[in-house]
Amino acid sequence: MSSALKRWPVVAASLAALAIPLITQDSYVIQLLNIAILNTIVVLGLNFVTGWAGQINFGQAAFYGLGAYTTAIATKSGLPWITTPFLSAIVVIAASLALGLPTMRLRTYYLAMTTIGFGEIIRLIIVHWEPVTGGTSGLRAIPGISIFGIGPEGQIQHYYILVIALALAILIAAHIRRSVLGRAMIATRDSEIAAEQSGVDTTRTKLAAFMIGATYAGLAGCLYASSIRFISPDSFSGTQAILLMTMLIVGGMGSIVGCVFGAVALTILPEALRFLGQWYLVLYGLGVIAVIVLAPGGLASLGPRLQWRQAGVR
Amino acid sequence: MTSEPIITARGVTRRFGGLVALDSVDLDVPKGIVHAIIGPNGSGKTTLLNALSGASHADAGSIRIAGEEIFRLKPHRIARLGLARTFQNIRIFDNLSVLENVKVAAACNKPTPFFDILAANARHKQNETGIDSTARDALETVGLAGRADDQPSQLPYAQRRLLEIARALASKPSVILLDEPAAGMNMTESMTLLDTIAKLKSHGITILLVEHNVRLVMGISDRVAVLDFGKKIAEGTPSEVQRNPLVIEAYLGRRHRHA
Repeated sequence: MSSALKRWPVVAASLAALAIPLITQDSYVIQLLNIAILNTIVVLGLNFVTGWAGQINFGQAAFYGLGAYTTAIATKSGLPWITTPFLSAIVVIAASLALGLPTMRLRTYYLAMTTIGFGEIIRLIIVHWEPVTGGTSGLRAIPGISIFGIGPEGQIQHYYILVIALALAILIAAHIRRSVLGRAMIATRDSEIAAEQSGVDTTRTKLAAFMIGATYAGLAGCLYASSIRFISPDSFSGTQAILLMTMLIVGGMGSIVGCVFGAVALTILPEALRFLGQWYLVLYGLGVIAVIVLAPGGLASLGPRLQWRQAGVR
Repeated sequence: MTSEPIITARGVTRRFGGLVALDSVDLDVPKGIVHAIIGPNGSGKTTLLNALSGASHADAGSIRIAGEEIFRLKPHRIARLGLARTFQNIRIFDNLSVLENVKVAAACNKPTPFFDILAANARHKQNETGIDSTARDALETVGLAGRADDQPSQLPYAQRRLLEIARALASKPSVILLDEPAAGMNMTESMTLLDTIAKLKSHGITILLVEHNVRLVMGISDRVAVLDFGKKIAEGTPSEVQRNPLVIEAYLGRRHRHA
């Protein structure tokens, strides 16, 4: 019964996602949803290392940016689009390996500090390497997704492609969660010493989580560059890194559904509150605090709580 | 006691600043027995377990498990060589189900390459099936098979201790170190624990037991070593150790001998 209960919201959410373009074709709304989907993929990546393996990572926005800039620079210099997911993945895998190898032997806070530094380095490179990255004004007119000349036209087709990418990202994350590796990640977060004494190589497990997360961000960056078609350093700054972490916390650490809720809610909310002018930040901040205080497990923890109440357990 | 020792420790020394927590301890644990380590508070029992399991390395000495030198190896390497343990203050993975807790250890010597996991190929599926059955067997042995799908937080305290034992068992070890397994248990629960320990022994697993409750130890142990201030002061069968004046002194103090 429980698996059937779990299944129908997923089916409903998928149908709703597919039906949205039938309700609105407002390009502003669709564009916002596209960004929400991309952010969700990045937050799903962050969930591997932070939600499951328990390591604080403020470098996720930089990996997002590395993927986006790699793709933009590659396609603008004439490489076919099909090469870009591979190029972006190679760049972020190499960067996360170089960053993770020395830091993963240490505990939580060292990774936090290292990744803050890494994010700042990437931002400075992007801002100052103007001939290649376009500096603060970013890169425009990035060639779109195209496989042997066939590619999506218009935002709605991009929306569907991104929905498919998100579905794949969710399925892979759920599959890894149910595997040896997923259990090892959560064991590492819950008790590093007990995990080690159960035969888990915790250093390797943390590194794997970090690199898988970086790959999610890098591939989302690739899709960002080639579906939004414009990138600038602001989208991948330290502020963005903190926002991604907030999405994960508000949605619910360690929960795939939580990642989706958190990323979609916190991408759309600032836009929805824009009519408040400067006051929107106040309401936004209060909302985030309210979730953290009232539902420390994040938005995802509200669902089961409602079910328990109905069943009279609580 | 003629069988070769499964654990051979020589000159194991551990200092914390000026305090010598373990002072050149030698220990031989023959295969297949229940070997207890007792001693007053702060005598170095847990420090010795930590040194053996690699949780906190010794400063000097040699430790061999089935002939293999493990001194200063990482704990997961020692676990893979066949040494499992439980903890004095329970360390369960709270965000995994009861079954998944045990599965973590059941994967101990079954490394699956990341590619196999991602491809969800036959090797991955075969591995997961093997892990699942090993884990369920271990839960069965400690009597927790019925709670497989629960969260560990739903288990009463004594069963959480049994879950730790199941987890240790699932790595298919040759030695299990039990750190005060009866702590906080009532009489009935301690009896269940003793049954479980006897069951582990009948599986051919060597048990190294650190325990505060001397009465519990004497009934089940084949050999007992006594630590006091980081030194091994006595070793032998339970009845030999109980009669040893040094042991009586360590537990009761000097004056009581004259009383």
